Amino acid sequence: MSFLTELFSNFWVSLVGKLLIVALMIPLVGMVIGFAEIKLSAKMQARMGPYFAGGRWGWAQLIADGVKFFQKEDLIPDQADRPVFKLAPVLVLVSTVGLLVVIPFGPDLIFRDLSVGIFYALAISSLSTVGVLMAGWSSGNKYSLMGGLRAAGQLIAYELPLVLAVIGSVMLAGTMSMSGIVEAQIAAGYPYVILQFLGFGIFMIAALAELSRIPFDMPIAESELVMGYLTEYSGFRFLFFFLAEFANMFSLSAIAVTLFLGGYWLPGIPESVLPYAGPVILLAKTFLLVFAMIWFRWTFPRFREDQLQSLAWRWLIPIALANILITGAFKVYL
Amino acid sequence: MVLDQDLVRHLSEASVSVELETPEMTLNIGPQHPSTHGVLRLVARVDGERAFDVQPVIGYMHRGYEKISEVRTYPQVTTLVNRIDWVSGYANEVPFIVAAEKLLGVEVPERAQFIRLILTEMARISSHLIFMASYPLELGAATPLFFALRERERVLDLLEGVTGGRFHPNFNRIGGVKPAYGSGSATRKVIQDLPAGFFAETRVAMDKVLYAVDELDALVADNEIIVARTKGVGILPPDVAASFGVSGPNLRASGVKFDLRKVEDYLPYHLFDFEIPVGENGDCWDRWHVRLLEIRQSVRIVQQAIDGIPSGPLQAKVPKIIKVPLGETYVRAENPKGEMGYYLVSNGNQGPYRLKIRTASFSNISILPWILEGVLIPDIIAIMGSLDFVLGDVDR
Amino acid sequence: MTSSPSETETTVHPLQEYADRVAEAVGGTAEITFDTIKVKVPSEQWVSSLTTARDDLGLIFFSFLSAIDWSSEVAVGDPFPEEVEDRLELLVTLGDLSEGRRVTFSTDLDQESPAIPSLIEVFAGANWHEREAHEMFGIDFEGHPNLIHLYLPDAFQGNPLRKSYPLLSREVKPWPGTVDVEAMPGSDDEEEPEGPSEENPEA
Repeated sequence: MSFLTELFSNFWVSLVGKLLIVALMIPLVGMVIGFAEIKLSAKMQARMGPYFAGGRWGWAQLIADGVKFFQKEDLIPDQADRPVFKLAPVLVLVSTVGLLVVIPFGPDLIFRDLSVGIFYALAISSLSTVGVLMAGWSSGNKYSLMGGLRAAGQLIAYELPLVLAVIGSVMLAGTMSMSGIVEAQIAAGYPYVILQFLGFGIFMIAALAELSRIPFDMPIAESELVMGYLTEYSGFRFLFFFLAEFANMFSLSAIAVTLFLGGYWLPGIPESVLPYAGPVILLAKTFLLVFAMIWFRWTFPRFREDQLQSLAWRWLIPIALANILITGAFKVYL
Repeated sequence: MVLDQDLVRHLSEASVSVELETPEMTLNIGPQHPSTHGVLRLVARVDGERAFDVQPVIGYMHRGYEKISEVRTYPQVTTLVNRIDWVSGYANEVPFIVAAEKLLGVEVPERAQFIRLILTEMARISSHLIFMASYPLELGAATPLFFALRERERVLDLLEGVTGGRFHPNFNRIGGVKPAYGSGSATRKVIQDLPAGFFAETRVAMDKVLYAVDELDALVADNEIIVARTKGVGILPPDVAASFGVSGPNLRASGVKFDLRKVEDYLPYHLFDFEIPVGENGDCWDRWHVRLLEIRQSVRIVQQAIDGIPSGPLQAKVPKIIKVPLGETYVRAENPKGEMGYYLVSNGNQGPYRLKIRTASFSNISILPWILEGVLIPDIIAIMGSLDFVLGDVDR
Repeated sequence: MTSSPSETETTVHPLQEYADRVAEAVGGTAEITFDTIKVKVPSEQWVSSLTTARDDLGLIFFSFLSAIDWSSEVAVGDPFPEEVEDRLELLVTLGDLSEGRRVTFSTDLDQESPAIPSLIEVFAGANWHEREAHEMFGIDFEGHPNLIHLYLPDAFQGNPLRKSYPLLSREVKPWPGTVDVEAMPGSDDEEEPEGPSEENPEA
């Protein structure tokens, strides 16, 4: 064991190790959540879901889909702007990967404990907006352009509530470092959602909008614009977007769990067990939120673009601002 | 209420920022598109998200039925005619056969009329369930599709059990309905009636349909997002509707309490007790809601018909080779999509001289240029879906 | 319920009184044919009669507009047993939305060059119906803003629903022979399948 700790205390070895783990996590998390989505949606709709790939459970379905995507022809439309077209999915995937870096899986289990953890996370997640715009513009297709513009408008509008919603938690914890926020919740003895229920609600709604999932999936409104900004993407480029969406679901849910639901901690768990039980607890809470996201997706229809914008600007932002004021008053006077 | 074209253009230009001049764009929605119920093409001139001139282009599915029917015999035309509105197959045949029977002067036996009525109401339930399935899907909600189509399968199984076809029954004959002949060792002389167990299964199916309709009501009707997408969207005033010839649930959603089943006598609806649901505002939500209520009323009619069906022959005595005497008449019926009528001109031969088919969806979508003026693109989809048309019905 | 032929010498049809009232109001002649009220008006009064029907008689529902090509010589189908007067008869069916009455108004047009003012100012729904009648019968509707093809491709020439317009399949196999019917596989005949017979009246 000491040989391994010696090895991993070397900066470069641990760096490579961390990169490998993150690189493997994305497809793995993507596939697990993707599988959960197809099976859960099937059960909600009185059908079976994938049944044949991998015994009677269909667990190999997404692996088969991944292989299928890889072996497809790489189609780039004639009118497309080639370098931008190729770069767009990469940008979206990179922003997803970057989010995983600051999620605390246990008391010391974090890829990099930045002192501006949450600030970094929000900044990195905005990169995907640029990627979406690039995808829409470079496809050379009216439908894609409209989808890309709708997406840009939506993502920018919902950045603000996302940011404002976390400020309450940060104020209560007194630090922007993600592991610091969890430790503050442990010290306080209760998860911040009890005080910050407004913030939690706004964060979840804004997260759904950032992910472009129903009820906020106007950019890819299938029944209207075919696939919006994704229309011209096929093969492994589409796979990048596809994986990025599921991995992003995981990342944003994990951030919500860290900020509001107590992270890797459960009241009553002794400190010594936490390094081992921590990741399990975090994953369980995260999957609970992911389940809620999947549930909403298959229950609700989609908002119209102007209704979506008015929800963000006229409701979520004022409520988030009020939340900050109340939290501030609470912090000062109590 | 028509938006002034110049005003719209002026407003859109006024809101343009300094850097980006957004010229108008011509967007072709269709003919291959997930949301147009078939091959319908809308040529929309849009500015950003707002469409200000939408012209439908139809005819992609024109099959020339009126010309073909001039060289077909009456039973052959029956085969053609149930392919007009294929979602409610049986309901298309009835007014045509009634028109031919009027000219012949044939009295249809009571039992046959009851059977026709039961099958027509089942066709109505089937058509409205397809609407319940596809309309929320166009708005983005994927789940009501499965609930509605699962129950529709039961109704289609019943239709198949009686007529042999789910979508194209070919069950009407001049003088009544088709008598089923015995199979196997029984010869053509033995006539069988409705299949065994039909009434019991129908009762079960109707109960399940009612339950599913209640589920859909709970899931869809008060959902905030559905309400935000459909209330106040696509308002159709009743006088505009009448002037364009819009009929069926679309007309009733605008507040007009008019149902051809109460005023025409092509089937014995006067023997049954049912209501006519009417909407208040004439928006998309009302059109959805009226169809939901109509499913319940149809179930009520079917239940009453099953309980009260008389016994008797299935077809009146008619000659084997039918020549309909000279004359012309117009028979119209309340089809699930609206008013469907046949103007039949006969010259004494085996087939019609001229058959004008008046279909509901043709008039229902002729309002699209009027109603889609100045409307956002997502609302185009919502409004088109709420009109519930089928391209076979539009193009014949 | 189907009823026996409506006119007999002794009883008056229940719709007769209404039909006479309509005919008097619009200035035409009424006829009841198998439970359908048909009012014939002269073509000069076409627009004014229908405007009266809409405003004074409450017939606000525009059901359809179409035409019948009455010809003695037909390229497809069976002709009339006796000679008929060659003309194009334009039909419009209107209904009311309170009692469910309906009337079919008709007027006669010249078969060679039929023309009549458009009804688009009276009923907005006439727009598409007139376009269809124009392309199918060749009727020119004066005052219609957009008389282009509705169903048929733009380059299509001819008026298909005219009785003089032939059907290609019927050039080879004239009516009432069956056409496009495949013999059952394994049957050994090249004969034409038979039409309706005693055994199988639905062939």
